[in-house]
Order: sequence, then structure tokens, then C-alpha cells
Amino acid sequence: MSAQTGTASIPPPPPEASLLSRARWALSRLRRDPNPVWMRELRQSARLQRTPVILMTVTVAMALLICSIGGVASVTAEPARVGVGVFHTFFTLAFALVTWLGPAVAASTIAGEKNGRTWEALALTGLPPAQIARGKFLAAYTYIALYLVMLAPVGALPFLFGGVTATEVILAFLCCFVLAALAVAFGLALSSKFQSSAAAIIVTLLITLITSLLLYFGFGVALSFPVHEQWPAVPGGPPVWLPTAWVRADLGLRYLAFLVVLPAVGVLVPAWLFYEVTIANLAGPSDDRSTRLRVWTIISALALAGACAVVQLTTRELEWALAQICFLFTFFAFVIFMVAGEPLGPSRRVRIAWERTGRSRAVRALGPGVVPATTWVLALLLVTFTSCIGVGLLSVKPGTERDVLVLFAGQLLAFLVFLCGLSAFFRARAEGATTPRVLLLVTMLTTGIGP
Amino acid sequence: MSQDLDQAPAIRVRHLSHRYGAREVLRDVSFDVGHGEIFGFIGPNGAGKTTTIRVMATLLEPSTGRVEIDGLDVTIDPEKVRRAIGYMPDHAGVYERITVREFLEFFADAYQVPDPNVVEVVLELTDLKKLDGRLVAEMSKGMKQRLQVARILLHDPKVLILDEPASDLDPRARIELRDLLLELRDLGKTIFLSSHILTELSDVCTSIGILERGQLVIAGPIAAIGEELARRGRSDAAAAMAASGAAEAGPGTTRGPELTPGGAAIPAAAQRRLKLRVLGDSRLVVPLLAGGVGVHRVEPAPGGLLTVDYSGDERFVADVVRHLVSQGVGVVGVEPERNELERIFLEVTRGELQ
Repeated sequence: MSAQTGTASIPPPPPEASLLSRARWALSRLRRDPNPVWMRELRQSARLQRTPVILMTVTVAMALLICSIGGVASVTAEPARVGVGVFHTFFTLAFALVTWLGPAVAASTIAGEKNGRTWEALALTGLPPAQIARGKFLAAYTYIALYLVMLAPVGALPFLFGGVTATEVILAFLCCFVLAALAVAFGLALSSKFQSSAAAIIVTLLITLITSLLLYFGFGVALSFPVHEQWPAVPGGPPVWLPTAWVRADLGLRYLAFLVVLPAVGVLVPAWLFYEVTIANLAGPSDDRSTRLRVWTIISALALAGACAVVQLTTRELEWALAQICFLFTFFAFVIFMVAGEPLGPSRRVRIAWERTGRSRAVRALGPGVVPATTWVLALLLVTFTSCIGVGLLSVKPGTERDVLVLFAGQLLAFLVFLCGLSAFFRARAEGATTPRVLLLVTMLTTGIGP
Repeated sequence: MSQDLDQAPAIRVRHLSHRYGAREVLRDVSFDVGHGEIFGFIGPNGAGKTTTIRVMATLLEPSTGRVEIDGLDVTIDPEKVRRAIGYMPDHAGVYERITVREFLEFFADAYQVPDPNVVEVVLELTDLKKLDGRLVAEMSKGMKQRLQVARILLHDPKVLILDEPASDLDPRARIELRDLLLELRDLGKTIFLSSHILTELSDVCTSIGILERGQLVIAGPIAAIGEELARRGRSDAAAAMAASGAAEAGPGTTRGPELTPGGAAIPAAAQRRLKLRVLGDSRLVVPLLAGGVGVHRVEPAPGGLLTVDYSGDERFVADVVRHLVSQGVGVVGVEPERNELERIFLEVTRGELQ
């Protein structure tokens, strides 16, 4: 039953119920018994008088800007070119809005609970950290989505000029919604670590500002040129190329690899990570914060290795194989950095919970502890690098290219194994997670600059 | 098994110790709180009260030791313990931009309370019904504290844990909170209350525990602790007198206990102060008391006031009054300078920096 919505709860279906009836029950529960944190946040937001004013101001400003650009440009340029220009301007601004506003809004939510000293009361209600995280996510996402919905009529203006299709505009909006979800999840993950909302917002904005600019110029502007080479129908230079590529690129293995598999992995892996980090940070220090993150590590590593294999088999070029090795190296360097903050072993609470629920040794191996964590990372390193090298050897030219690949991948693998051991060594000798992480970061930066 | 659970105290703490890094904040703390009691947890700032409470509230796993709430171990069964307790942290915050009713509805949902009328019941119980449509931001501190109490009652917990509940409240709000706690005790709740304001606790508590420098100095019912301290004092005084008498009279001589003006044995060694108000000039009363057994000093003051420094317990006070009345003095007021809890606190703690 939801006191906030005033609706009675529907009893869950019996265990032998069909999948369809279970899905129906889940849907009706979503409608009648929504996430309590989300409901409360919505009630609070509804009383914030400045929200409609800000929304209206942003929408009017955006409409005026786009109309002005369109009006001025259409004097000298043909309408189709104006339409493309307006399309990229609008979605660049929308990108900035979701990537800056999303994390900033999300950053103040969980840290705000701790700052406002309401967190302990909320945590002791028995709501699982995952449900709190989802409620906070939905609240912040609703707020950002409201901006996007308000801007939708302005976003449709380029379509009137021509040069872009309605599908491209819709897909670009879809990208904005996905990016907004990612940005909000990122803000929440950071927010869950901070005690002060001011500190959370400042740090989040600093990181977001740098990351969004890198994303915009790296994945937007820079990547549009190789995409143009690959698919000439997609213009090179304009940053919002993905929706255009989805519409105009030729279907094939490369389309599947670069426009479906890579974007999907690129969104799902970090989004899942942010979700798990938020849950882990919301759980108590004696709770099991490791198992879910370990599952993320294993599945993400295997998914990335799979994506790399798909791309390599599609391109069959040494440069791509080396790029994938570099990408895996970055991923594992981050994973090792995470493992440096692992608890030394499971707490008494976790051990008793395992015994009560009769967890198998395999499941326990996913739990807290420096030794299992390091072992998992080492095993994943070997599996993913071996598969990447194997696929690379099969696809690149024999001779020098193969030697280069093996030497390059071997060197990076050896360094990661060293980092892994060093991280475990630091962690085993430190009281908390901060010192080993700082030492590891210093080591990585020093070795990165040195050679 | 169920019999064991029935017999288990509401709160059982055994050999509880906790460290923050190298700093040991709790050392071997053990005590019990019975069902239906109001237990006052007293100690100076930094003594370890909040750490103990956070362990009890499942927010902190102890370094060593065991804490049980209603027979449930806080380390092993944190979820069940959370259902059994209502915890109000020190300086707890509230959501400002929602109404009182919405605030309670949210927590009713968060606690997954199945009863649709629970918010109404709690609003009635805590006397917040007339404010249910008011924004939380517009409430006074006292009302916000009352709202916090309402929040922790929503899931009908057996044990209420309140950390410094009256620290920021004005006198009226404190009195109202005290009355509410007494009402809750009458409803069968066990209340664990931490504070360093002794007068706040002395009015409501049935038992106390005093914590100093991470160690429990004493715990139990207030009356029993008072008697125990008096007994200890008497035996100390008797031992001291026996030693001094032996020194004066030589080996083999013993001396009986000294008597008060009324004939009672000299009680505690600790010095106390009593304020008396008599009819007429208080200076005339001074010779009747000065030099009496157990009387250290008698100080007259204008308005018929007398301050008497003495060693002894409540029987001494009764003897003094009886003696003055028998001498024809009109005694119109008797006021111990400190209440029992303050006296106990001062006697058992050393007052060192925490």
C-alpha cells in the first residue's frame, strides 16, 4: 500500500504464476505503489517555485537563439544548410544542458540527505540501497527530462528548414535522453560518496565540465571524420553525427559493430557501473559492497572483450587491434584502482549472512576481500588480453604486425599484473581505502610520465 | 526459544568495544535495559554515547562485543533490528518542503507499513493532527522534534532510541517532549535516551547508565544506584573513622558510628548542600545546627534562608527538619541543592577531559 498515493497494494502472484502475470503485477505495482523516494522528491520539487520560471526562461532563450540563427543564416544560405546548422547548434546546446545540469542536479540529492541529516532516518527505514538509488535517479531524471520535453518544440525547428529528417531529430532527442540518464547516474554515483552537497556539486561539475568537453570534441567533432570516411553520406566535422549515421549509413557488419555494439557497450557499461557504485556507497560499511561490483567487473570485462573481438574481426587492421588493447588497459587500470579500496575481508555481518543463506564457495569468492578481488582481476586480465591478442593474431597480417601486437599487448599486460599486485600490497598495509588509492594513482602517473 | 526471547531484556549490551583507527572510543561496555523502562544514557561530550547508540541502531558494527535489541543481534540481524527500533539521531533533519502529513506518509511508505490509518493514528498520538497540513519548514524546533518522534512511531517499534532529543529545545518544548515520552512508556515502549542535561533525564528516567571516557561507570535503576553509592560512602566513612579512632585510642579500641542530631548514623562521605527557609531571622537558627554531627557549615542569608553543608543522606535531612521543629523553628522550605541524578553523576565521574 502506498500512503503517498493513497492506493492499496496488489498482492504478488503465486510462485507458480506465469511470466506474463508476473510482468503484469510488476507493472501495476509500478503504477499503484511507486518508489516512495521518487514520490517524495516529486512532491518537494512541485513546491519549488523557481522551477517553472527557470524552465520557461531556458525554453524562451533557446527558442530565440535558434530562431535568430535560422533567420540570420537563411539570408545567405540555402534552407537545407541552415537546417543542418540549426540542428547541430540546438543539439550541442541540449548536450551541454544535459551533461552539466544532469550531474549537478543529481549530485545534490544523496549528498543533500547527508548534509540535511535525513540520511540516517531514511537508511533505517529498511528501504534497500538499490531502491533509494532508483528513487533518487528517477527524481533527478524527471527534472532533466522535463527540460528536454520543454525544449522539444524548439528542437523540431531544424526539421522545418530541411537538411535533416524527422527521424534524425527524433534519434537525436533519444541520444539526449540516454545521455541525460548517464549524466544523472554519474552525478548520483559521485553524490553518494560525499557528505556535503556543496562539495558534491563542485567536484561533479569540475569532472563533468572536462569530461563533456572531451566527449564533445573527441567523440563528437574528431570522430565524425573517420565516420565520414567510412560512410560518406555522414558529413565530417559536425559533432552530432550519430543520429545521422544511424539513418544514412549503409547497413552491414561495420554498421553493427560501430553504430550498434560500441555505442550500446559505451552506454551500458558506465551506466551500470554508476548504479552499482551508488548502491555500494549507500550500503553500510559492514555490508557486502563488493559482490555487485565484482559481477559488474566480470561481465563488463567479458562484454568489452567481446565488443573488441567484433570490431577487430570487422576491421582486421593492426591500428584497431592496438586501440582495443589500449582501451582494455584503461579499463583494467580503473578496475585495479577500484580494487585498491576493497575491504581486507568480509565483515562478521557478511560472513554470518553467507552462512545463513548457504552461499556456495563460488558466490563467496565474489564477495569482499583483497585476495579474491585481486585474483578475479588477474584472471580477467589473462582471459581478455589472451582473447584480444588471439583475435588480433587471426586478423592482422603475419610477420611484423603480429610481432608488434604481441609485444605491445604483452608489455601492457605485464604492467597491469604488476599494478594489480602492487595495489593488493598497498591495501593490505593500509587502514582505509584512501592511502592505497593515492599511492596507486601516484605510481600510475609516475610510470605513465616516465617511460 | 520464545521463552528465551520473552526473558531477554529490551536492550542487552555485552563487552562492547569500538575503535576509530587507533583511538579506542568504547571499552568493555555492558548493561541491560528492561522492557518498558526509560533508560537515561549519560556522559560528557565525547564519552562514547553516540557511538554506542549508532551500534545499537545498526549503523556501526562494533569492533568487539555484542548488542541485542529485543533478543536480536544488531550485527547478525540488522534488518530485523531496524524493524524493532525507532531511532532519532542527534540534530536529526527533516524534509522542509513537504507538509507534516506528507512527511509521515513518505516514512510510512518507506517502512512499508501495511495499515492505511497509521499516519492518522500517529498524528493523534503525537498531537500533530492540527498541524498536518503545515509545511515542515514553517514548524518550530519543538514541533519538528515532535514530528521526529512521530516518524519513529510509524512502524510501531518496541524500542525507541533517542540521541540528545531535547538538546536544542526551549523549556516548554522540553516539558512537552518529556510528557510525550512518559505517554509512550505507558504504551509499553522501551525508551533509550541519551543526554548530558541531567535535569531532563531525572524527570523521566527509571534507570541510567553513566559513560565516561568510553567506559561504563555505573548502570541500573536510579534509586538502587543512589542507595549503592550511599552504602559505599557509609562503609568508606566507617572505615575512615575506625582508622582515626584506632589511631587516637590505641590498638584494640573501636568506636561506634557517629550520629546525626536526630540519632541516625552518619551517612555518605560526600559533602552535600541543603537550602532551608525558616520563619523569622535565620541567624537565630544557626546555633541550633552548627557543630552538629555531620554538619560542616551553616550559612544564614536574608529572607530566612539557610545554607547547610553536610554529610549524609535523606534521613539526615529529615532529622534536621525534625530537630528544628522540635526546637520551635518554623521550617517553610527544604530544598536539596542538587537532584539525585546530578549527585550520582558527580560522585561517579572524574570530570576529566574526554
